[in-house]
Amino acid sequence: MSVSDLRLFEMRRPADLPDVCAVLAERVSRSEPTVLLAGGTDWLVEQETRPAFAKEAALPLVLDVSRLPALRGITLDGDRLRIGAAATYLDMRRDPAVLARAPMLERMGRDIGAIQIQARGTLGGNLATASPAADGVTALAAYDATLVVHSVRGERRIPFASLQTAYKRSTRAADEVIVAVEIDLPPAGSPWIWRKVGTRRAQSISKVALAGVAVREGDRLTRLGLGMASVAPVTALLSRVRTLATSRPLRDLTAADIDAAVDADVSPIDDIRSTRDYRAHCARSVVRAFLRDLGAPV
Amino acid sequence: MSASERTVATEGTTAAPATSHTITLTINGAKKQVEVAPWTTLLDLLRESLHLTGAKKGCDHGQCGACTVLVDGKRVNSCLTLAIVKDGAEVTTIEGLSAGDALHPLQQAFIDHDAFQCGYCTPGQICSAEGLIREKRAKTADDVRELMSGNLCRCGAYSNIVAAIEEVMGACTRERDGRGNGQGRHAVGGGRGEER
Repeated sequence: MSVSDLRLFEMRRPADLPDVCAVLAERVSRSEPTVLLAGGTDWLVEQETRPAFAKEAALPLVLDVSRLPALRGITLDGDRLRIGAAATYLDMRRDPAVLARAPMLERMGRDIGAIQIQARGTLGGNLATASPAADGVTALAAYDATLVVHSVRGERRIPFASLQTAYKRSTRAADEVIVAVEIDLPPAGSPWIWRKVGTRRAQSISKVALAGVAVREGDRLTRLGLGMASVAPVTALLSRVRTLATSRPLRDLTAADIDAAVDADVSPIDDIRSTRDYRAHCARSVVRAFLRDLGAPV
Repeated sequence: MSASERTVATEGTTAAPATSHTITLTINGAKKQVEVAPWTTLLDLLRESLHLTGAKKGCDHGQCGACTVLVDGKRVNSCLTLAIVKDGAEVTTIEGLSAGDALHPLQQAFIDHDAFQCGYCTPGQICSAEGLIREKRAKTADDVRELMSGNLCRCGAYSNIVAAIEEVMGACTRERDGRGNGQGRHAVGGGRGEER
């Protein structure tokens, strides 16, 4: 079976966001399968591997949200960056505000497939698919981004820390549309890291990826945001590392303490891409490398 | 089997309603109205309904780039693009690059530099290179390598592909050991991030 043999689905292009919310609410209430499609770079491939629809099952409806103005656009308002859920990685990489104020996002975006994928893939899709290996989601975790979702009940904002609950599960309701992500940016020029460990630099799913942003005042970190891909059932926020590294002067951090915090924050597994041990090793190494760049003697 | 035949064939085996949509695409400069099923990919539409077989189906997963075409000037994997989603768009395929019998400069450069062996990836490589040149972002051989990373060549003609593209791009210097591309290293910032 190839993508050209996709099972049937219906396709509709909703007029606007209220239209999407209304259709979604109605179909979810009837348990009818509904897909919001932006770039489709994950979903189309997924169609080949998921179980076939039962004959009696309702025909899935695909809502093409890729052109909805409410989901497009990237805006900077003061220190708050808002990225539309259907803005593509390429839009993001080319956006002056992202380049100036969120360079880690641009750097991460380079590793999302190649240009052809970046021209289609979106952060909204990455969040909806909710894979713990998702690079885009990992970067958002480091920025402690907020998800803006809409439904017939109105707007709701979900802080990243309360988004993911289990493997590919989140607190977003089935009838809620991801509209945008918002990031309260660190000051321009703040240190950051994006480090992807994969079989090759891009076009591969991360064995481990670290995203980090920090604000340093003298010998102390006043803000440290971290996200790590592919080391837990959900995107790892490395909360123990965050707490450790902001609790004392950088010069007082030790490699042993950092490693212990990382070990407690991640729960990697063996799978087709890597092993538990290698992932744990990489996780410790990349966290230490970032803290070393920030001034810790490790 | 054409896309329209597949529509009919599939309808016969399910209880699904007929799902066919009329979309308008400007393909290689010519405006066309076409009937598509919602699940028809742009690649299948091009190859099977419009008989533009230049774009190739390699992996059909968006990994190899053999299906690369330009949609509204941007390089995309047509195997992962549903045709219906691109209603109203302008599509350029390898067939639209040459002017009659006169080869596009990239086509000529690929021949001059022996930038292919089996040729299967070549239409995608050339469409991708055309996108790269239009983007005006590649300055060095390293840039070309990174920005062409979505196009795999199993014959391994990469060095000649880069040379062909550089020639057309008008790059005067080949950067071999200059600015690193970050491969195998972590990117760190704070005003020190790479620009590309």
